[in-house]
Amino acid sequence: MEYGYSRKDVIALMNDIITTACKFVTSSIGRKILVALTGACLLLFLVGHLAGNMTIYGGNPGAGEPSWIDAYATGLHTMPAWLLMAIRLGLLAILLVHVVLTLVLKYENVTARTHYQKEGTLKATLSSRTMVLTGVMIFCFLVFHLWQLTVNGDPHDCYNHIIAAFSNGWCSLFYIVAICCLFMHVRHGVQSILQTLGLATRKVRPLYNLVAVLFAIVVCGGFISIPLAVLTGILK
Amino acid sequence: MANLNLTLKVWRQENAQAQGRIETYKATNIPEEASFLEMLDIVNEGLVKEGIEPIHFDHDCREGICGMCSLTINGVPHGGKHVTTCQLHMRQFKDGDTVWIEPFRARAFPLLRDLVVDRTALDNIIASGGFVDVRTGSAPNANNMPVRKKTADAAFDAAACIGCGACVASCKNSSAMLFTSAKAAHLNLLPQGHPEKNKRVLAMVRQMDAMGFGNCTNQYECEAACPKGISVDNIAKLNRDYMIACASEAVGVFA
Repeated sequence: MEYGYSRKDVIALMNDIITTACKFVTSSIGRKILVALTGACLLLFLVGHLAGNMTIYGGNPGAGEPSWIDAYATGLHTMPAWLLMAIRLGLLAILLVHVVLTLVLKYENVTARTHYQKEGTLKATLSSRTMVLTGVMIFCFLVFHLWQLTVNGDPHDCYNHIIAAFSNGWCSLFYIVAICCLFMHVRHGVQSILQTLGLATRKVRPLYNLVAVLFAIVVCGGFISIPLAVLTGILK
Repeated sequence: MANLNLTLKVWRQENAQAQGRIETYKATNIPEEASFLEMLDIVNEGLVKEGIEPIHFDHDCREGICGMCSLTINGVPHGGKHVTTCQLHMRQFKDGDTVWIEPFRARAFPLLRDLVVDRTALDNIIASGGFVDVRTGSAPNANNMPVRKKTADAAFDAAACIGCGACVASCKNSSAMLFTSAKAAHLNLLPQGHPEKNKRVLAMVRQMDAMGFGNCTNQYECEAACPKGISVDNIAKLNRDYMIACASEAVGVFA
């Protein structure tokens, strides 16, 4: 009563909030917004991850000196263990929301449609039509990537581990194919996020498309450059 | 002007339960200035003379404003020329072309017969909130209620939707977002529709979800197929309005 709210009022308000939240996360637009927001978080992670990866071009000075990327990797591990685990679990939760909601939406989309004998497409891009396929590819890649470089990695010997991994042509090829899938996924994803969050208009949509392509080129180009640099002997 | 001879691949299905199939018909001696529906009329006359059941298709005003005609032509609703099927002229086709004619397909549009589908699902979305509760009686004075020119233009563009369902039929996910967003936007933009904005948005989106349409994946096929040029800007606006409406509902801004 002190704040103008009785216990009953608070319960009624909580009821309203929870009821609406439940309706939101089960509605088409609500789930799309969650997919867009988690996608935006994952894009930010990509940028951070790329910036960290670029330290590999600092080279390996040898002679007991740590390379830049080793210094970066050990630097990351100096944070408290609980914080590192919290960040990892947070990222995992974001990824799971993104993947699970997308698959549910996709399932609904497939069941909502009946097929034409002759299919026609006016302007839907190839990347927009293969989002689930490229997404699943990226997920498989992510599992392999984490197993190879995080589970079996050592932050103190990051540089040599990466060079050894990418010296294997098949491994590099798998990385490059996966990053190409990421390119397609991000190319549609960036402008799709802006549309779903209601930030797009006729005027800025072409600009968003350009931003999406440039973003995808920079991020994916940066990632692909590493296996290419190892294969061509620029990084030894 | 030479008349056209076409091969038609037409979806035939006796009723909702029957197994549908593609049948091949010859459309001979079709004038270039005939509309697509007039071409079907000519073909049907031939079929009737041969004692074959004519092709059933939806049509009404035949001047592009009623939204009754449908048909997916070569995989694209209304043929993808930014006009309705009734306004699509045979000069868009070349002599000897093969033309695929199918109904507007979506789980939410149950097929009734041949090329005729039941688009009641769209009416249900309108009935859930696509209206304003205004007093009836004589029309109010013009310019009695000031509306910004840009706003009036945007509302008018959204109101141009004739509810034909081409957006749903062209969508890879059979989503009705373009239709719902246009119908919501043309009222939400104007002062007359403002009092019920949040209630309208929530009701229309929830009705849309309940009708079994798919979810929008921002491919913009709908905009490209729309005979009335409805912009996907309306979809972005519906997404915004839906977020605001949900927030308002949660904290009880309106009952």
